Amino acid sequence: MKTKLRVITIVIIFLLLFIFFNRLLQPKYMDTLVEGSMISQYYHEPKDHEVVFIGDCEVYANFSPMVMYEKEGIKAYVRGSSQQLIWQSYQILKETLHYEIPKIVVFNVNSMRYDKNSKEVSEAYNRLTIDNMKWSQEKIDIIQDSMTEDETFLSYVFPILRYHSRYDELTAEDFEYLWKRKDNTYNGFLINKNIKGVTSLPIQRRLAEYQFSEECYQYLDKITNLCRENNIQLVLIKAPSLYPYWYDEYDEQIRNYANEHDVDYYNLKNYVDEIGIDYSVDTYDGGLHLNLTGATKLSEFFANLLKKNYDLTDYKGDEIYEEKLKEYKETIQ
Amino acid sequence: MIRNVLILLVSIVVYLNFGITNFLFILFSILTTYIAAKFLEKRSKKIILTIAIEINAFILIFFKLYGANLFPSLEENWNLVAPMGVSYYTLQVISYLVDVYKGKYKAENNFFYYCLYIFYIPHLFIGPISRYEDMKKQFLTPTKISFTNLYNGALRFAWGLLKKLVIAGRASIVIATITQGGEIYQGAYALLAMLLYSIQLYTDFSGGIDMVMGVSKMLGIELQENFDSPYYAQTIKEFWRRWHISLSSWLRDYIYIPLGGSRCSKIRKVVNTLITFLVSGFWHGANYLLWGILHGIFVLLGDTLKTKWKWLNRGITFVLVSFLWSFFIWSNTGEAVRMMGSVFTTWNIVDLGNNILNLGLTFADWVVLLVFTLVLFVFDGNKSKIIQKVKKWSPEVKTIILCSILLCIFILGIYGIGFQVDDFIYSKF
Repeated sequence: MKTKLRVITIVIIFLLLFIFFNRLLQPKYMDTLVEGSMISQYYHEPKDHEVVFIGDCEVYANFSPMVMYEKEGIKAYVRGSSQQLIWQSYQILKETLHYEIPKIVVFNVNSMRYDKNSKEVSEAYNRLTIDNMKWSQEKIDIIQDSMTEDETFLSYVFPILRYHSRYDELTAEDFEYLWKRKDNTYNGFLINKNIKGVTSLPIQRRLAEYQFSEECYQYLDKITNLCRENNIQLVLIKAPSLYPYWYDEYDEQIRNYANEHDVDYYNLKNYVDEIGIDYSVDTYDGGLHLNLTGATKLSEFFANLLKKNYDLTDYKGDEIYEEKLKEYKETIQ
Repeated sequence: MIRNVLILLVSIVVYLNFGITNFLFILFSILTTYIAAKFLEKRSKKIILTIAIEINAFILIFFKLYGANLFPSLEENWNLVAPMGVSYYTLQVISYLVDVYKGKYKAENNFFYYCLYIFYIPHLFIGPISRYEDMKKQFLTPTKISFTNLYNGALRFAWGLLKKLVIAGRASIVIATITQGGEIYQGAYALLAMLLYSIQLYTDFSGGIDMVMGVSKMLGIELQENFDSPYYAQTIKEFWRRWHISLSSWLRDYIYIPLGGSRCSKIRKVVNTLITFLVSGFWHGANYLLWGILHGIFVLLGDTLKTKWKWLNRGITFVLVSFLWSFFIWSNTGEAVRMMGSVFTTWNIVDLGNNILNLGLTFADWVVLLVFTLVLFVFDGNKSKIIQKVKKWSPEVKTIILCSILLCIFILGIYGIGFQVDDFIYSKF
């Protein structure tokens, strides 16, 4: 009996060590590649947002909820992640609805161009979106929907199977954030103050095919239906990035979809002058994403647009948000 | 009995997974040799033995030649792949037939046991090449699944997996860099590839065998050991007593001795030895005949190269064996010979030293590779003592060792995205 007990104790100790190494070897995404930590920051936020953004980098780089709060008193959160594909946006929305039912869901339609056969679907991006999600049915589904041929479900359950080779790449960050995490974003907005204006853009080539895939439409339908079932206003947007090109043919398809399904669609590229975006100073990577000044202009404009067209509460004066705003302002200075 | 039924069922299901054609080939071998043995028992006619052996050997020979691209016209029209494990089960069925013919034991009446012998999945792909009488004993011995067997089996399995993923996996990265790097990787690089390949092949093959032994142990089945610290051999002759023992003993029993063995004239002995090693080379593939012959020559040289210093002998044997593995590293014989020659003509050891971290391994990886190779080396040197000690270990100690090995594999193993976990090298022969 004593032997059995001792053996069990040893096994438990090794299981704990196994858990420890799982955590240690997994990237922390705190000081480097911070995009990987954004999805999980939502979990420790107060869940009282009236506007939730879902989508790829075009949402987390371009929309600042703090600016929207300051301008119109809107409580918003950006649940964006790098190269978030539409089936991932759908699962992230589903997961969000377990925590709160916002009044408006804003979905950036850029990902409609990528289906599961696209070369843009990659394990590295999958990891940035999925690794730090809490375990739920949605996480299981998102893994199964997103896995590339080389990936295994088990490697998401036990990250050591994926990241074991980091044993000689560990840095102070891995130890510092072994058990704790810090927030890198303000309600999902990733601040980037760098300036790299547009000097030239790649040639806008004609494509062989502009039609969005049936698969993407199915997920867009799912997002639409999910919002409808939960009495949420779905707002489709296309962020005002210059590249990758958002072709007129793409725009027309989304416009038609919006008309047919009675949802709103704003191609914010059409409002660039009104917003006041100057692509020589308002972007940090030559027109793909806006920087802090560009995002501030866009967020002010979009907050105003939402406030004018939808029934949103003015939360100005909220204690937590005021505190956050103060912190945000200190950070951006 | 339930255990045996389960083993056979699982083995057949796993084997079927490789395709029905594979299954039909192995079934053909089983049926022809089972029926032939029954005939042999009644009428011990050499013609039956010859036909049965020839039919089965023909399949093996055909695929060896086909694998060496000797039938280009066939390759254009047919996409043939050698049946999984054909190199192993063909030798097993031949040994069974010859043993029955010689009256060593009776032909098996029970078709189930014969199927179990051939199909036994743990040893089907990389051996060891078992003998029927040994396996039958194992199958008939009633065994309860015991914790001791499970522990010891799991330990052996984990040790094998560690060798494969931690040592062989790392060595293979460097070798791939060197062999795919073209002209610049000659001289010292070629020598490094040869030495590392010795380590890779040994850890890959013996690791696989450890895993086979481990699974078998858990099932209560003891298989013949296939290695006895081969790189501790002081001559090539001794090396072959320690390396791939089941193949060496098969070649001795079914090729060398029937040819007359060593109880004949000196010339005849030389011929017998060379033929045996030619067969050994051919068994590995039709491209490896020269490798076989060279080993045969070194075996014939026997103790000639031996000095009075055993560590020097071991070193010389290791280097010799490593050089000869060149035929496995560079599958083109001409390229292998050129690379062996470059070791003596291209002096670039300093360049190798400067470039060592550009061969696919980081500094930490090299440390891991060297440390674990050293551990293996020490283990091999004290194998029997260590095995005796392991048997006496308490379950607590065994658990600690097992868990530590598993943890090492999880962290230091070469697997997952970005790494290619190769099949066991010997499963391709």
